[in-house]
Amino acid sequence: MNLIDRLFRDAPLATRREITPKLGFVLTVLLALVWLIPFLWMGVATLRPASDGINLMAELMPSLKPTLDNIRDAWEIGDFPRYTLNTTIICTGILLVQFVTITLAGFAFARLAFAGKTLIFYLFLMQLMLVPVLLIVPNLSLIAQLGLYDTLTGVMMPFFASAFGTFLMRQAFEAIPTELEDAALIDGAGLFQRIRHIYVPLSLPSFSAFAIISVTSHWNDFLWPLMVINSPDKRPLTVGLSVFTKTAEGTQAWGTIAAGTLMVIAPLLVTFLIFQKRFISSFVTSGIK
Amino acid sequence: MLLSRRLMLGLAIAGTMAGALAFPALAGEGPTEIDLFFPVPVDGKLARDMGTLIKEFNETHPEVKATAVYTGSYDDTLIKTRAAIKAGKPPSAVIMSANFLLDMQIENELTNLDSLIAADGTTKEKFLGQFFPALQGNAVINRSVYGVPFHNSTPLLYINADKAKEAGLDPTKPPQTWAELTDWAKKLTRREGDKVTQWGIAIPCAYDYCGWMMETLTMSNGGRYYNEEFGGEVYYDTPSMLGALSWWNDLIAKHKVHPPGATPGPAVSTSFISGNAAMMMLSTGSLTYVRDNAKFNYKVAFIPRNVRNAVPIGGASLIIPAGLEADKQKAAWTLIKWMTSPEKSAWWSRATGYFAPNMAAYKTPDMVDFLNKNPDAKTAVEQLDVAKPWFATYKTVPVRKNLEDEVMLVLNGKKQPKDALAAAQKAADETLKPYNAETSLKLP
Repeated sequence: MNLIDRLFRDAPLATRREITPKLGFVLTVLLALVWLIPFLWMGVATLRPASDGINLMAELMPSLKPTLDNIRDAWEIGDFPRYTLNTTIICTGILLVQFVTITLAGFAFARLAFAGKTLIFYLFLMQLMLVPVLLIVPNLSLIAQLGLYDTLTGVMMPFFASAFGTFLMRQAFEAIPTELEDAALIDGAGLFQRIRHIYVPLSLPSFSAFAIISVTSHWNDFLWPLMVINSPDKRPLTVGLSVFTKTAEGTQAWGTIAAGTLMVIAPLLVTFLIFQKRFISSFVTSGIK
Repeated sequence: MLLSRRLMLGLAIAGTMAGALAFPALAGEGPTEIDLFFPVPVDGKLARDMGTLIKEFNETHPEVKATAVYTGSYDDTLIKTRAAIKAGKPPSAVIMSANFLLDMQIENELTNLDSLIAADGTTKEKFLGQFFPALQGNAVINRSVYGVPFHNSTPLLYINADKAKEAGLDPTKPPQTWAELTDWAKKLTRREGDKVTQWGIAIPCAYDYCGWMMETLTMSNGGRYYNEEFGGEVYYDTPSMLGALSWWNDLIAKHKVHPPGATPGPAVSTSFISGNAAMMMLSTGSLTYVRDNAKFNYKVAFIPRNVRNAVPIGGASLIIPAGLEADKQKAAWTLIKWMTSPEKSAWWSRATGYFAPNMAAYKTPDMVDFLNKNPDAKTAVEQLDVAKPWFATYKTVPVRKNLEDEVMLVLNGKKQPKDALAAAQKAADETLKPYNAETSLKLP
């Protein structure tokens, strides 16, 4: 109890002696532990030698003779540095173009007046209802016609515009007082200068919230890159990883899978740990939780 | 293990190299570039073996440059192949789940292989004669050849022999009927109070596997899953299937000797290996994994019968999509013939546990040796005498899922077998409607 008391030393005086926040804290810790178990298992399974056999595979207790064999196996089966590079190119490429398109589209829907604005906006939102699988064949034909089959650009192309991002930026821009824009207008700022110097800087939390959603969803996308990419050296991480996790009639090498999974999630995990505070605050200020 | 595998591969390559020398390489132009789409139906290290196989092919066939393209599960491979064909970029060859061929043929997505066979100066009968007769049902459609069997399977009953002895059962006389199997499963289940510490039997049910196991049980219950002659009919709401699903459900709900719920294949094999399940029904494709990992004596046996002994074929065939240029088609045909030759077939079979479809594979010295050391690999081949084609209809995957969704509800205790099968039949009839409207119901 001493530890918990110390944690609550800085809490407001009124709540310092109450039991509810402490209970909440304990529950949070318990929840975090439950959430942590798969990660712990992944770590333990990665280091467990195959000689321990499948019997011990499900145990959380680390093996007494840890080994790097699984990591070596996974490393040999998949060209992970190449996969990571491809995934990074795909995610950053999509995100950079998205920033431009969602800013302009969001601004148009928030501030410009044009005929059929509401109708077009609803049409935009309707995209969110479409299941991505439905668009695989038409998208792929289009990409093949453009000569982008089996290219990373082809993987990125369908995501350059984002209905969700446009919606998010429209909400963010609408919350900015028009007086600020008016002041800039008086100072002689053009349209793009106003967007650049007023709207964008004031909406940074929304941008970073969108960036997280965009990067994680494209980092994890499997089916679309699988459809577009043929060359082994253009595979993203998800496709590379599934080479040894997808089985139909066979069985699975859990140690290798754990090692491969660790390599795939590591970059995202490390980024999250470094920018943890900023990530959370961006979601809080942009109103998404 | 690795060394001997390489050695075998080396021998096989030396053989094919001699063959390749007989054909003069194409002069002038560069090699024909082709893609081979392949799923990974087995342990991931075989993705690496596939890479080795294609590398050897390229080295022995300078006129062709083949690239192996990994395409996910069997179902994903179908999606990718179809999307690529529609986008005008068909792959040159695909290792395709054997039961997808009919659907693809109906949609005009396959190359008829008859003319390629004729161009080799041989006949259909002679060409097909290389393969086990049971496999031909999934390769021949309307008397034309559309696929070449590559790796195939049958379901098997795996038994933990040590546990059987402990329970006073004789593992050399495995259960032959459902009654005996139920009895074995009861004797092999261990309980501590309400908690089960060891299950008698486990049967997998996940998309793809579930439909195959239902076909297995229905067939050994005397029934059929679908109309083998015509792609527009499935027999879900029949006594034979009701009996099969009810028995499976009884193992869970009544006898409590099978873990509840729909369990995926890898979870079943893991619990068998760990001793948590004393018996399992699984593909022969898992045999190499079991052999390498079991720390106990095990035994493989035929799938027990209720009415008759019968099992479906599983696994994959090689196909050539429609709409390819002539030179790519020819190169793909060369690759397919090479991959299904006795030596390659035998090598792949030893590596995976799938049986080799090419009968001559079992006459190669390496294979004779291997079977002497591992007699368990013979069971699937012996079972071929009672094997029948794998279910294949118009829109195979949705029609299969119509049943699988309902079976999962039953195994999870949320529906009764009779209601589930009626619902599955209704859904499947709806899925098959367009095809029937175009064929059996289109009257002159």
